[in-house]
Amino acid sequence: MNSFQYILRRTLYAIPVLLGVCLIIFLIFNVFFGDPTALLLGKHANAEQMADLREQLGLNKPLYAQYFDVVKSAFTFDFGRSWATKQQISQMFAQGVGPSLSVSVPGFFISTILSILISLFVSHFRGKSIDTVTRVTCIAMMSLSSLVYILFCQWFFAFEMGWFEISGYEEGFPDFIPYVLLPVIIWVAISIGPDVRFFRTVILDEIYQDYVRTAKAKGVSNIVILLKHVLKNTMVPIITYVVIQLPFLILGALLIETFFSIPGLGTMIINALNNYDFPVIKAIAVVTSVGIIFFQLLTDVLYTVFDPRVKLQ
Amino acid sequence: MKKEKSLIAILLLVLLTLFSCTKKQDFSEKVLHRYSKGEIKGMDPVRADDLYSGREIARLYEGLFEFHYLKRPYQIVPNLAAGEPEVSEDGLTYKIKVKKGVMFHDNACFPGGKGRELVAEDFVYAIKRMADTKVNSPGWWLLDGKIQGLNEWRDKYKGKKADYSEKVSGLMALDSHTIQFKLVKPFPQFLYSLAMPFTYAVAKEAVEKYGQEFLNNPVGTGPFLLEKGKFTQSNKIVYLKNPNYHERYYPSEGNPGDKEKGFLKPAGKRIPLMDKIVTHVIVEAQPRWLNFVKGKIDFLVPPKDNFDQAIIAGELTPDLKKKGIMLSNKDQLDVTFRAFNHEHPLFKGNADLRRAMSLAMDQEKQIKLFYNNQAVPAQGAVPPGIAGNIEGYKNPYLQYDIEKAKKLLAKAGYPGGKGLPTIVHETISSTVNRQLGEFFQKSMKEIGVNIKLSLNTWPELQKKVKTKNHMMYAMAWSADYPDAENFLQLLYGPNAAPGANGSNFNHPEVNKLYEKVSIMQDSPERTQLYEKLNKMIAELCPWIFGVHRQEKVLVNGWITNYRYPEMPHGMDKYIDIDLKKKKELLSK
Repeated sequence: MNSFQYILRRTLYAIPVLLGVCLIIFLIFNVFFGDPTALLLGKHANAEQMADLREQLGLNKPLYAQYFDVVKSAFTFDFGRSWATKQQISQMFAQGVGPSLSVSVPGFFISTILSILISLFVSHFRGKSIDTVTRVTCIAMMSLSSLVYILFCQWFFAFEMGWFEISGYEEGFPDFIPYVLLPVIIWVAISIGPDVRFFRTVILDEIYQDYVRTAKAKGVSNIVILLKHVLKNTMVPIITYVVIQLPFLILGALLIETFFSIPGLGTMIINALNNYDFPVIKAIAVVTSVGIIFFQLLTDVLYTVFDPRVKLQ
Repeated sequence: MKKEKSLIAILLLVLLTLFSCTKKQDFSEKVLHRYSKGEIKGMDPVRADDLYSGREIARLYEGLFEFHYLKRPYQIVPNLAAGEPEVSEDGLTYKIKVKKGVMFHDNACFPGGKGRELVAEDFVYAIKRMADTKVNSPGWWLLDGKIQGLNEWRDKYKGKKADYSEKVSGLMALDSHTIQFKLVKPFPQFLYSLAMPFTYAVAKEAVEKYGQEFLNNPVGTGPFLLEKGKFTQSNKIVYLKNPNYHERYYPSEGNPGDKEKGFLKPAGKRIPLMDKIVTHVIVEAQPRWLNFVKGKIDFLVPPKDNFDQAIIAGELTPDLKKKGIMLSNKDQLDVTFRAFNHEHPLFKGNADLRRAMSLAMDQEKQIKLFYNNQAVPAQGAVPPGIAGNIEGYKNPYLQYDIEKAKKLLAKAGYPGGKGLPTIVHETISSTVNRQLGEFFQKSMKEIGVNIKLSLNTWPELQKKVKTKNHMMYAMAWSADYPDAENFLQLLYGPNAAPGANGSNFNHPEVNKLYEKVSIMQDSPERTQLYEKLNKMIAELCPWIFGVHRQEKVLVNGWITNYRYPEMPHGMDKYIDIDLKKKKELLSK
């Protein structure tokens, strides 16, 4: 089986996975959750209006037909309109994805690169005080809730020091930059602890391999060993760890977006959950699932790039 | 070395640029900075069922009437109406002249993109849209069963494409600038309906051109326009003054003492007084508070966690006073309550049990613990500020008295709570509601009543109430319009669930009196009857009455004439700013 066949097979595997995702979403909202019309119509809802709305939303259809609608929207990516706001969901995604990515992409890349560099550095000094201090700092940083970072940084750096905007967002480049600086810094601060701990472990596994000892015996400098040999050989677990996070970047960071009033997809998710906006939640779940399936496949393909021993079969 | 120095210099420059890139305040024009705690869903008046969206829609669209900016109790004044309505003696026919020369905003939906003149037919169209089942407006309750022929028109086109050209006998444009409403039965609150966003004038051309996207392409006659022409769901909405806004002036009369307080300073000035309004959607409390203190938003209801930084013993803290911030008090037109299900055998006809439970609630303590002392005990259903509320009245079953409660419980057949089954109390699962529920549970324990808390999401609670599947539940009601009828209808028998009367209270005397008073025009006699009804209800204890909430509003010192409107639609056009003072206060 060649790579093309492997990719095709994996793509076909995605179909039952998506059907399963649709079934879970369908069960949660259509079977367990019940009738959303009272909420959607507000405090003056009456029986007649609720019945009309049920009809309009297709909630009177047999369950199999409603499930088919969910599946259809998942495969056509036509999610219709939000129940709560009546906005077109594709438009809501289009409007939210930019602000979300403007925080998550720089935050993700900076934290990943910084974490790898720190991990390489402390791995080299394993057992020394710098390694211990880094490990303790990482654990301390991980122990703090992300809310603590957000509340403190917003109050101290934006309000007290006046270095950043307290909250808000402007569309278009470069207008959005002042508004995302602090959120990006917070993203990095939140991510760096677990990232460094993971990358350090992976690098330490590699650093005691025979080829590293041989390279050292041959007089290859530590920097070359770390950056050229060790880093390359740790790429498989690093890629797995990094690529699997990519689909979630689109969804932004729920708390950061809410506290900084960034009109991204994170904010959209929170509003959809608060409003029990099933079509929006369904769209988010489907998009995330497709993203995970795609990036898992991409991870497999990338393995072959970084490790020629890996074959796609 | 030289290279290193340049590198450091560049780095410092970048950092300085980054750190100094916070936006500076603009003092060249009058800009009102508002905040919204919730998302703005869209700009279609028939969907203005939440406070946040309704307030935004009312900047772009207008109705025939609005509430007086300064006068309290609330008074209805003409907005797009050319004067007071002509009301027939039987209270069934309302003839209203529409103001001439009012232009819709310029928009591509009109020939040549130029806004056309507003006519009476625009209101007919807007109201039919509200009734159209395809539109499914959450505001339909407002006119349901009220206008002759409208329900029939609605039913005729149920689930079908409605014919808007078909005449409705009770909703007619008599000529280009006169509209006539014929009501099914007297409904003295009718003019309030015409002040609500659901009935605001919309242009048929815009609805037809934009279809489902009409909610993002507003075309009204309002005092402001969207800066971008189109609405996008964002964290910020910018409105510009409408240069073609019809002639409206700041009121020259207010409440006694308003002149001395400076509220009448802009009297006679053409409105809107602002050049621009910016709405910032800020959901979380901390950024709202920090933005207000920095002067980036103009008003703020202090968040619970920052209350002590803002107000101590009812007064502003010295820090805020130094910043020139002012304090405005606001009585909310609402009532919180714990409703019994009167169709449940335990509570049906057992007034003694209900009264005993009501007497065991320590309202004062509840207000102190949960409302920062920003509430008053609700002695009845009608809040202060609305005719029907009885000043100084004390509900005999709301005065905390454990001994009396125990006696009444015994009289009800449950001495010391013996034989009384555990009462399941439905409430929302949020922290505050849960804590309030626990407080209630603890209070009832004192007289031997066992309460089991059942925590629900909002839709779960709604469902239980609408299907009568509960023993009792906690809720709050805010006024749709400032009339006692809006509160008393919650206890009118025929309104039982799934209607507004979620407690399913059904008392013949209450029903009879409600039917009589709810169709009376405003008069001292009606007020007396409202008071009688409110008192009767209070003493029957259909609910355990909770509180009427109050709010303190912090106002930045440069706002010169701020009066908090509980009916906020369209009120921002009256607000004024002293730019010189703003510059001065912000430079401190």
